Amino acid sequence: MTILKVENLSIAFGGLKAVDDLSFSVNQDEIYGLIGPNGAGKTTVFNCITQFYKPNQGKILFNDTDLVLKATHNIIKLGLVRTFQNVELTRDLTLLENLLVGAHISYKYGLFANSFKLPKAKKEEKEIAARGEGILDFLGLLDKKNELTGGQPYGILKKVELGRTLMSNPKMIILDEPAAGLNDTETIELATLIRSIRTQYNCSILLVEHDMRLVMDVCDRICAISFGKKLAEGTPKEIQQSTAVQEAYLGISDDTEVD
Amino acid sequence: MQNILKHNYTKYIVFGIIISLMPTLAGIGLIRSASVIVLGAVIFYGVVAIGLNILLGFSGLISLGTAGFMGLGAYMSAYLTEILGLPFLLSLAISVVVPVIIGSLVGLVSLRVSGMYLAIATLAVSEVFRLMFSEFTDITGGFSGMRASFPSFFGISLSRDTTFIFLVVILVLLMILTDNFVNSSVGRALLTMRVSETAASAMGINLLKYKLMAFALATAYAAIGGVMYVHFIQFSFPTVWTVMLSLQILAAVVIGGIKTIFGPIIGAFVVFGVPELFLNRLPIIGDIPGLAFMFTGVLIIVVILFYPNGLIYLGHDIKRLWLKNRKSQKGGETA
Repeated sequence: MTILKVENLSIAFGGLKAVDDLSFSVNQDEIYGLIGPNGAGKTTVFNCITQFYKPNQGKILFNDTDLVLKATHNIIKLGLVRTFQNVELTRDLTLLENLLVGAHISYKYGLFANSFKLPKAKKEEKEIAARGEGILDFLGLLDKKNELTGGQPYGILKKVELGRTLMSNPKMIILDEPAAGLNDTETIELATLIRSIRTQYNCSILLVEHDMRLVMDVCDRICAISFGKKLAEGTPKEIQQSTAVQEAYLGISDDTEVD
Repeated sequence: MQNILKHNYTKYIVFGIIISLMPTLAGIGLIRSASVIVLGAVIFYGVVAIGLNILLGFSGLISLGTAGFMGLGAYMSAYLTEILGLPFLLSLAISVVVPVIIGSLVGLVSLRVSGMYLAIATLAVSEVFRLMFSEFTDITGGFSGMRASFPSFFGISLSRDTTFIFLVVILVLLMILTDNFVNSSVGRALLTMRVSETAASAMGINLLKYKLMAFALATAYAAIGGVMYVHFIQFSFPTVWTVMLSLQILAAVVIGGIKTIFGPIIGAFVVFGVPELFLNRLPIIGDIPGLAFMFTGVLIIVVILFYPNGLIYLGHDIKRLWLKNRKSQKGGETA
């Protein structure tokens, strides 16, 4: 069953066509990779899906809802949530508090109830904090829950950001270069974590990645793009054998320019 | 019960009780009675600074319109109680609600820009108010100013000393409410928005809603501060509500420490209290005109360069240093 369907997506910045007539679809419970050389338009595709950019053309259907019509902050309510390339967490908050930000859409009570600490607001906070502790436990960070986020090692920040996405009870998580800045051991750990997120939290994962090992390791299917166009789509093995992909990454043996 | 003791409420209430002893201390001659007026000013400017801190510290937005909204609250309450004869509490409510509505409308228009442009937009609004205070002479009394009396409610008319205690009660109440909501989902949303607007909207935080909320809150605190001002000082002149005042309140927030509750109060004490209470009493240099502004200016530079978290962390850091020293001494003994 398809959960995310990108149809004929195009976006141009001035004269530059960053994404050109791209189509792909991600199935339920699938780990899907989007790869491509530098400047291929991966992150742009990403920003189009999460509505940070409004595409010039094309449809993005998530469970049959067209995302293009939605405001950026309403995307998460549909069950679609993302991480960022350069970890965007709040340093002044503790690890647990950063996770609670991910549950923002679950909070029913606002300024008034919280200013006066009404019992219903306190109860809500307690329930959501318990959920956050559960997720920190899953990530193996429960003992650090009250530590400030600023100053934590990068590997931990990446995990916390993943945990924050889980707080929204997502149907699909989009990861923007999760392995960037991680060392080999941390990358292997991340691969295990991504797989266990899929099984434990029943969500699909779309991953934009540079690190080939991670992509080949965890993805069920991969879409390779270059200059905003689709080169190939298939299993990791098929992608590795595709000549179009090899050319895009390594260049062609004769005269044409190399990326 | 244990929860109550553990909670921050205790420190705010203890703080409030200590401050409210000041008129008594003046009564028995321990401090000068003029100092009570200065401390009253620290309290209402402190309230306004707490409000600005919600905007500047927690939400990362800037406003130079603080003085305008504070003045609006002051003039409205003076007019409503003195000219229209409304009861104080009703006047207080109206003088906060109306500025908040106006502030929200201003916010709705000006929050489309940010940074320097937002500062200029809010400054313009504040200047419009200032001109209205001096030009609409029928309502505001123009340059002769506007009188107001000490608050009275439930059949009690407050004196200067009891008004001071009333101001302390409002301050402590607002400190507790502010502490509560900045430590809830609302405060976390504001902080997240301050750090990264993209991350905030990806997490479902409606940026315009929260910016507007921060703006409305800052306006509300400014208006409350204005009402407190006019019923304690008993006068309002248009020359008070200038951009200089907005800058001083901004200085109080920065010097005291952003993103904290006590910080703006400490800042208000340093900016509005220290020059009057100590500096102007000093021989020779106390007579230099504009000494208070020089003091604030130098302090801003020093704090931003060497103590960007604000003076509130001074105590915290000294304690840490002391503990570290003691530890290393102990370590030295065992070695």
